[in-house]
Amino acid sequence: MVKPAIATPAATNPFFPLPFLVISRRRETRDTVTLRLRPLSDVRLIAQPGQFMMLSVYGVGEVPISVSGLPRRPGELEHTIRAVGSVTRHLVALHPGDQIGVRGPFGTSWPLQLAHGQDVLLVAGGLGFAPLRSALLAILRERWRYRQVIVLYGARSPADLLYRRDLSRWLQRPDLVLRITVDHPDQYWRGQVGVVPNLIRQMAAFFEPANTVAMICGPEIMMRFTIRELQKHGIPDERIFLSLERNMQCAIGLCGHCQLGPFFLCKDGPVLPYSRLAPFSEIREF
Amino acid sequence: MASPAVIDVNGLAALIAALQQEGYRVIGPIRRDGAIIYDEISQLNDLPFGWGDEQEAGMYRVRRREDNAVFGYAVGPHSWKRFLHPSPVVLWRARRRGNEWMIEEPVEDSPRLAFLGVRSCDLHAIGVLDRVLHHGSYIDPIYAERRESAFVIVVQCAHFTPRTCFCTSMGTGPKATQGFDLALTELVEPDAHRFVVEVGSARGAAILQQIPHRPAEPTDVTAAEHAIAQTAASMGRQLQTAGLPAALLANLEHPHWDKIAQRCLACGNCTMVCPTCFCFSVEDRHDLTGTVTERIRRLDVCFTTSFTYTAGKPLRQSIRSRYRQWLTHKLATWVEQFGTFGCVGCGRCITWCPVGIDLTIEAAAITGREQTTEGVV
Amino acid sequence: MSDRSVLELLATHPFTADLSEEQQAQLAACARIAHFEPDEYLLREGQPATAFYLIVSGLVSIEVFVPGHGPRPLQTVEGGSAVGWSWMLAPSRWEFDARALERTTAVVFDAERLRALFLEDCCLGLRLVQRLLFIITERLRAARLQLLDLYGPPRER
Repeated sequence: MVKPAIATPAATNPFFPLPFLVISRRRETRDTVTLRLRPLSDVRLIAQPGQFMMLSVYGVGEVPISVSGLPRRPGELEHTIRAVGSVTRHLVALHPGDQIGVRGPFGTSWPLQLAHGQDVLLVAGGLGFAPLRSALLAILRERWRYRQVIVLYGARSPADLLYRRDLSRWLQRPDLVLRITVDHPDQYWRGQVGVVPNLIRQMAAFFEPANTVAMICGPEIMMRFTIRELQKHGIPDERIFLSLERNMQCAIGLCGHCQLGPFFLCKDGPVLPYSRLAPFSEIREF
Repeated sequence: MASPAVIDVNGLAALIAALQQEGYRVIGPIRRDGAIIYDEISQLNDLPFGWGDEQEAGMYRVRRREDNAVFGYAVGPHSWKRFLHPSPVVLWRARRRGNEWMIEEPVEDSPRLAFLGVRSCDLHAIGVLDRVLHHGSYIDPIYAERRESAFVIVVQCAHFTPRTCFCTSMGTGPKATQGFDLALTELVEPDAHRFVVEVGSARGAAILQQIPHRPAEPTDVTAAEHAIAQTAASMGRQLQTAGLPAALLANLEHPHWDKIAQRCLACGNCTMVCPTCFCFSVEDRHDLTGTVTERIRRLDVCFTTSFTYTAGKPLRQSIRSRYRQWLTHKLATWVEQFGTFGCVGCGRCITWCPVGIDLTIEAAAITGREQTTEGVV
Repeated sequence: MSDRSVLELLATHPFTADLSEEQQAQLAACARIAHFEPDEYLLREGQPATAFYLIVSGLVSIEVFVPGHGPRPLQTVEGGSAVGWSWMLAPSRWEFDARALERTTAVVFDAERLRALFLEDCCLGLRLVQRLLFIITERLRAARLQLLDLYGPPRER
């Protein structure tokens, strides 16, 4: 006997995705798009910057994707997705009018409240900019709550820069310091070439280490070198926050795949202060 | 609760019948495929009368006993996880109509199960799984349903030599004291094959009332205590648990991990027989027409290379790192996550490891502790 | 330009700021201020390495000219850092080009006089070589990270 149902608030089974509609698609780069989603049921999922949703392509699978923007209408979601596997390849090929399944929100969020009255340093590498963009938008929405706001963004090449329209606007803002660097410039690039940790040294005059909250997201090697640089500049470990990526399948701390030591990254993360990770940071393959 | 009673072998048959009358499917030990496993039993004679086992690291044999004991063996390859955390399970099914997908929840007749023969270690293992799947921030609805309706009949361990067990080290046995509906201790005197019955719940008391029984005499109780004490005194393995989590986490790069890695095949047997390993994978499966898709969950093994696939690459690539993950989870990080060890000292991983890796020895080696074996070899 | 302006710049540039006034004066005597317009070269591959550049402000691109491809930038160097160390092992030639991307101001040291100064005042020499080593390790670290193509698509092994 089968009970047919569209998952509704009454269906509290955490394994059920809710139906969402793709309402817009923006191509960011060759292999990355940003989708905006609108719920098809009455349920409103409210995600904080740093949290993630599990996006299902029916018949293909489900993947964890961080929210990359703020909703324009209550219940809407924005996600930036890069095609790296079968599910994400399908997600990147979706168009307005397509239906997907969404579960969430899951995980811990960026420490925006801790950063009130502080200097904020956002350091992004590659696709790591996606989860940080939602934090930046939230910060800019209440810009008066924060002191200096510095954004450092490293990308592979100019063609891989995400959110170009946002970047142009942000570069114009006098209340935001934005520095971009690439690994591999093209012939038109007249900006910095090099790695993100180097940008931190350039910014030393802009932030007060004792009153700074740093949020980092990118490949683990990039985060490791960035943390070292931040430590050299005197930012304490408990004020350096990372967003970590692991194999996530259930997203509710039961399937065991996302474990890092004692942490289930779907529940205790993905955002964690470096002070909690430091004991394991030098252990390879842990 | 009520004072102990005694039932004989006929009483045991009546117990099975009474449970079936109440609508329970009785799961108990049966001898099959060269092992004593757990499956549904329909009558008394399905039970392995007169069979015992021999276990050592990397070795398991059933053998005929000299007496007619029903429960005269240590735990076999199955645990109650098989019934409480079943695999595979369809989480939901979705049908496509045009561009829309409708999700359906597959509703099975929820089985009411009676577990006959739950050893103390396995009872604690169920308690460990309760903390993971039933008391966390998300409750697994599949586990919850089966767990809440399960009728638990403990069998106190007696009349065999526990070679690979170390429940005494883990504080999980050999005597179960709570958390059961009924607990049986078998007494195998040739002219008086009987079971001392402890009642652990109202449900248990109600069932006992339905079967022929008599109050236990002091001699019954003493004999039962003696049999259990024998088991405790002859534990095959020991593990020092004081400070063990911290000691393991302080030695994550100990050279001994390399020694283990040279032997470990990453076959995953240990996780499959372990009564508390709970990891599962989730995958979508669709039919040929592409109109019906199912999301399936299936028990997974942290020893596989794909377990930690992130953007297509395994983060724990070496066997060394995967064995370390399993051991440190079981004996160290589990404590921080759930408040108990993941290990209950059942010894299955030692018995069923094809190369005989013994985690009591390995944990002692890594943390620099003395390893002694108690009791009879 | 006068020695005095050079001295002011050395007093604030991270490379030399914490040297003693006397040491800064010794260095100032070997140096001059130079300005570069966008697209002007500070140094070119193959030319004799005869100067050391402290970048005060602006942005300099370290690049190599690849036949058929044109100039290929490898790294950029901003104000507060330095360009060029081939001069330390004389005689030698530059291995890369350095081109200003923005209007750039630099303190330019005569390499021969610097090398002589190092031998005269070994203590100062050692301190400066240590700082140069710091810059070189930073560049090497960056080059290695760039080589890893960390942001690139996950590749099959």
